[in-house]
Amino acid sequence: MSGFDLPLFPGERRPGWVGWLLLAPLILWMAAFVVVPTAILAVYSFCQRDELGRVVFEFSFENYVRVLSPTYLWIFVRSIGYAALTTVICIVVGFPAAWCIARSSERWRSRLVVLLMIPFWTSFLIRTYAWIAILKGEGLLSGLLKYLGVISTPLEILYTPTAVVLGLVYAYLPFMILPIYSSAEKLDGALIEAAHDLGCGPLRVFSQVILPLVKPGLYAGVLMVFVPAIGMFAITDLMGGARVPMIGNVIQNQFFQARDWPFGAALGCVFTLLFVVAYALWQRRSQPIREVRT
Amino acid sequence: MRWSFSAWTVLVFVFLYVPIAVLVAYSFNDSRLNIVWSGFTWKWYDQLWSNTPLMRALKNSLVIAGITTAASVVMGTASAWLLHRYRFRGAGILQTLIGVPMMMPEIIMGISLLVFFASISMKLGFTTVIIAHITFCFPFVMVAVQARLAGLDPALEEAALDLGATPLQAFRLVIVPCLRPAIVAGGLMAFTLSMDEVIVTYFTASPGSTTLPLRVFGMAKVGLNPMLNALSAVFIVATIAFVLFSDYLKKLSR
Amino acid sequence: MKRLRLLVVTVLAAVFVSAASAAKKSKELNLFAWSEYFPQEVLDGFTEETGIKINYETYASSEEMLAKLIAGDGAYDLVQPSDYMAEVMIRNKMLRPLDLKQLPNRKNIEDQFLHMPHDPEGKFTVPFMIGTVGIVVNTDVVKEPVRGYKDLFQSKYKDRIVVVNDNREIVSWALVTLGLDQNDITPENLKKVRPLIAEWVKLIKVYDSDSPKTALLGGDVDLGVVWSGEAARLWEEDKKFAYILPEEGAHPFVDVMAIPAKAPHVDAAHLFLDYIMRAEVSKLISDEFPYMNPNAAARALLSEEQLANPASYPEGMDYMNVFRDIGRGAAAIDQLMTDLKSAQ
Repeated sequence: MSGFDLPLFPGERRPGWVGWLLLAPLILWMAAFVVVPTAILAVYSFCQRDELGRVVFEFSFENYVRVLSPTYLWIFVRSIGYAALTTVICIVVGFPAAWCIARSSERWRSRLVVLLMIPFWTSFLIRTYAWIAILKGEGLLSGLLKYLGVISTPLEILYTPTAVVLGLVYAYLPFMILPIYSSAEKLDGALIEAAHDLGCGPLRVFSQVILPLVKPGLYAGVLMVFVPAIGMFAITDLMGGARVPMIGNVIQNQFFQARDWPFGAALGCVFTLLFVVAYALWQRRSQPIREVRT
Repeated sequence: MRWSFSAWTVLVFVFLYVPIAVLVAYSFNDSRLNIVWSGFTWKWYDQLWSNTPLMRALKNSLVIAGITTAASVVMGTASAWLLHRYRFRGAGILQTLIGVPMMMPEIIMGISLLVFFASISMKLGFTTVIIAHITFCFPFVMVAVQARLAGLDPALEEAALDLGATPLQAFRLVIVPCLRPAIVAGGLMAFTLSMDEVIVTYFTASPGSTTLPLRVFGMAKVGLNPMLNALSAVFIVATIAFVLFSDYLKKLSR
Repeated sequence: MKRLRLLVVTVLAAVFVSAASAAKKSKELNLFAWSEYFPQEVLDGFTEETGIKINYETYASSEEMLAKLIAGDGAYDLVQPSDYMAEVMIRNKMLRPLDLKQLPNRKNIEDQFLHMPHDPEGKFTVPFMIGTVGIVVNTDVVKEPVRGYKDLFQSKYKDRIVVVNDNREIVSWALVTLGLDQNDITPENLKKVRPLIAEWVKLIKVYDSDSPKTALLGGDVDLGVVWSGEAARLWEEDKKFAYILPEEGAHPFVDVMAIPAKAPHVDAAHLFLDYIMRAEVSKLISDEFPYMNPNAAARALLSEEQLANPASYPEGMDYMNVFRDIGRGAAAIDQLMTDLKSAQ
């Protein structure tokens, strides 16, 4: 540690013994519950399997070659597509709401934030079945629209990609709103007023003042929505009729129906690796420019 | 401009609560199958009070989620702060490692943890479930707090130290209050994730530590019993009542 | 900060209290089974009689159960695999042989079910419930007769069909349609059924193993291939839902009870098995769960309406025609179905 001089940001220090004492439990926790289990799985991914699907310690790259076949790549791409669409919609729908909550009075802020999450403390399945009751051909939405005379034949939303996206947006919206809110909350109103006073129109105020300051929250929201959404398959199954496999389905199937743990492990490792690498690169890029302390 | 944003927010909340309204309505449905409406009844609520396994599962879920949230908030905030404040080799690796559970498919995490626990002969139960929950919940807190830290003025801590505070005091009395919205947001997310988590819990739980979502998923095969709707309805009403009540208490103490 | 500390302390206290109460492990039984297969009064009745507390953990598929057992969990006393799963578990010595002297009520089970292919001498398993997989038709909407898979998978029913989301099942239907053996999973056979299934996939709207009745009741589909229990419930709800065993060939499935090799409470497990084979208790289970009951003594106690349910007690079933374990073929099936589903 001593000979290597990393430039420090103002306010940064090298960890003294107190620092290391505090970091130690964190590092141990990660080593035990993330590194080791992942390593176990990585080892599995190079193995073969027996008739029960258990691992047999004969090593090969077979599984990884299979992961790179067109079928699975295409499934990856499709899952990424849905997740990207969901993320974009969540941003568009969620940003104004997050902003509104952040700028509201102190009393309302905490109430609204909790109210935001309460629906998600009910069971996922019950919520989804409620959506099915609303969206199905003879369901509430269909009935309402028929009553209003908007449509005459039953609505066909359920078991289509539209329903899937709706379900995904519903599930992840709060996870986009909350980080944006916490970032926007500290935005000093005076900054916006100043920008107005200097003659900026609303678009410029947004792009030059608001957006740069809320960006960390936005990025956090994207991280918490995009990546988990790629692996999500329960919603596709329930609201999309499980017609089209997502990468999450495929991985799950390997451990259950297909009884091929090594292949499942390989898929999982590739999946995780992809995002870990992307995350690490993005971390590196978003490091602010260092000013060396004089 | 302002009111259009407010209107939009109201619409968002309506969107979020529509299925809730529907599920509460169906908790009074006379048919056992959740699909068709056949009449008004209180019977599912009656059945709910006497259903001990469901109540036990609910209690388990709350306990687990409570502990997970408390631990995740502490660990998440601590890691965000430590990574922000200290520069050391391997900081980047640690940061990425913490992010891994967020990005791993749940089944991979569940199975790898189970194999790990089995290999060290650790018996499954509350402890294993809580460890698993904390591992994938606290990164969410960390990311939320980090986002807020990114805009934090470094001069704040320096000023506190100049005024004679110890680093710990500076942290407690200056930094944490600044981070409060992010901590609250992270804590809410952690609680929600823990309450609804199924796959990882399935692999790390024992028969004595069954959680509510596990019970519910098992029931899906036979058709979700409207008792579950009743349970959700009660839960929602209780939570909203609690929020309003604590609001009222705050108002009184002013 | 203070509030947080208080919260942490309270929560930890709650944990210790519940952990302490769970630690009184003297008389317990760890039951790992399908959800809702055991009505609460059956479980409570057992606890009242014997004083043994039942910890009931559930899963939604045999595969899930196997995965957890393999990954390393030895805490269960009773599990409930399906027939082919029991076969492979027996072969891999994962199940404990039953002590038949402790199971006098075993005589209530109809004899043919004690000698099934997966366990010919009935040494390791006890049959619990029997089901079939067949075709359900909403006769209000579909007026033409549907006698089998060929009648079902026609283009006029496009997007009106639901099937169970079980890759092996779907492949087996295609195999019997082409006159092949449903258990003969070879690369050649898979190649033969591939174009047929590709056609079928275009017509199917919903895949749902958990609750295919949802789509049928909701009116989004009019026909389907579902588990008989689902069909029985549909028939109970509305008699317009007819159940037909496909003429190309239908197979039953048997869910059995067995004791894992590493079970900690073996005597309690035997007591429970004997208890559920009592006629009155088995009847209670049938009341909740309209599958076919292999317990002849219990069947004698069922009502006319229950016995008349065509999905619960179908005619003309060859009960020996069960699924056998296909070992590594499962992965090939999964690959085939993933390819075909993904190609849409």
